[in-house]
Amino acid sequence: MPLRPSRSRLLSDVLLTRAERQALRNLDFRDAGHGFDVFGFEPDSLALAIGLGRFWYERYFRVESQGSEHLPRRGAAILAANHSGLLPIDGAMIVMDTVRHTAPPRVPRVIGDVFIPLMPWVGTVFSRVGVVAGSPGNFRHLLEAGELVLVFPEGAPGIGKGWKKRYQLQDWRVGHAELALRYRVPVVPVAVVGAEEAWPELGRIDAFHAFGAPFLPIPATPMPLPVRLHVRYGAPIALADRFDDPDDPSAVREAARTVRAAVEELIAQGLAQRKGLFL
Amino acid sequence: MTRVLVTGATTPIGRALVHALLAEPTTELVLAVGAEPDPMPFGARAGARYGYRQVDLTRARELHDLLFADARELGVEVLVHNALHRRARDEGPRVHALNVECTRELLALSERHPTVRRFVFRSASAVYHLDPRRSTLLSEDDPLELSPDAPQKVRDRVEADLTVCTRMGMSRLGIVVLRCAEILTADIGSQLWDYLSSRVCLRPLGFDPMLDLLSLEDATRALALATRSSESGVFNVPGADVLPLSRAIQRWHRVGVPLPGPLLSPLYRLRASAFGMDFRYDLNHRRFHFSAVLVGRRAREKLGYVPSHPIRWPSG
Repeated sequence: MPLRPSRSRLLSDVLLTRAERQALRNLDFRDAGHGFDVFGFEPDSLALAIGLGRFWYERYFRVESQGSEHLPRRGAAILAANHSGLLPIDGAMIVMDTVRHTAPPRVPRVIGDVFIPLMPWVGTVFSRVGVVAGSPGNFRHLLEAGELVLVFPEGAPGIGKGWKKRYQLQDWRVGHAELALRYRVPVVPVAVVGAEEAWPELGRIDAFHAFGAPFLPIPATPMPLPVRLHVRYGAPIALADRFDDPDDPSAVREAARTVRAAVEELIAQGLAQRKGLFL
Repeated sequence: MTRVLVTGATTPIGRALVHALLAEPTTELVLAVGAEPDPMPFGARAGARYGYRQVDLTRARELHDLLFADARELGVEVLVHNALHRRARDEGPRVHALNVECTRELLALSERHPTVRRFVFRSASAVYHLDPRRSTLLSEDDPLELSPDAPQKVRDRVEADLTVCTRMGMSRLGIVVLRCAEILTADIGSQLWDYLSSRVCLRPLGFDPMLDLLSLEDATRALALATRSSESGVFNVPGADVLPLSRAIQRWHRVGVPLPGPLLSPLYRLRASAFGMDFRYDLNHRRFHFSAVLVGRRAREKLGYVPSHPIRWPSG
């Protein structure tokens, strides 16, 4: 359960530098009246999460960031990334990376799977740090509100793709492309290299559907391996300049393919440039 | 200049609406209708601009006479239907008669009435089906709770709402349905008000959904704006307070105790039978798990309604 704001603030004050504290306090977010936005996002909880994530970002995964100049400083935009790992470590690291590389900090609103609100504690904690359940209505509202939205078009199958299929993008959903066309917002391709090896899957229980989960992954290691993560942002793609009609299925599919190809290219560059799993 | 008939005029929102309408110089007359004797000392102050009728709205003859005798003579132009059964634990045909049949009858009578030209109905956000797989933000086009397993209070609300909605575009009347967020005030049937009246508030372990709460002032304003406006349609009326359940408990200076969800329904049933409280967990189960916030864009654009009066939370 998220801590009361006073305790969150107290703890995050200890964990964050003065500059980080100041930046996060001045976060531009739509307060619905009690320090939360309509989805339950609370800056104090995010500050605490960022404080707690510092060790993982700096020391454990030693995240290397490239191309952050492509992150839009204002206005609605979609970050579309590859997805992997048993837990959404890639999502957490992209959020931390984006917050660190934008001034004033922009918090990407992560579109989570629709079963997340059904999960006790997980749903609440995720909503406090800015994750939003992935319904089209929520996605639309975020874009209308001018938010930076992080989406994983592979969805849950990306998380459970397994070692053999690492860096092979799974079925690439097209909803983000349709909304990018409808709202005429840019899509920034993002690749996370390293996360696909960070927590190998031993197997999975496909019959496990508690809280609406599609399966239960069984990790091969008790915790993620300390591989180095590389987060690479590509140049924003103005899909609306290339494709006209958000209601044309073939245009939307083609737009989604364009994003997918850009992510694949970033992954290929990242894999070619990295010196080793842990280096 | 407007002549308005207000049902449910003895409820807190009915009284507040009558006050608000009489405060407007454009209101020529308010005919207040309630089940009890006139509780308001308006007569002396408002003079000929105010009238009160004690009517049992579940009786078709009384309804007919109200509209075709009093309302016709007074030239009522706008009918604001605000009378709904308040206690959630009461069920049965009489409750249904007030919640649904009375609405149906009032609408039918208004349609053939010589002077009534506008019908405003106060509905509630409880009509929406809460589904975590859909949007957290509820617009007027979101699905309604049509489950046959829903408690009568919800089924009645949905049926009344749909009864009014189905006449839109087919009636000569201008019809407005206001789907209000929960009005957190006493004596209005607010489940959350009753819930927060306990020193200890039990809530589902692991869940802390966002609630949308409406103040009496804002609800009154929305009704007054709908009365004056020439727009028709369904409008969400969100409140100025959107906050997690745990924060609402905290702001009310109550002790929130998270317990496993399956325990809450029997515990609250026990509480209701021991203390006669009205709060029903089965009625609130979904919204105590999943966030639901009304989108008020349509009301803002068409009626000029913007939530601006927060709840008066108890101090220290």
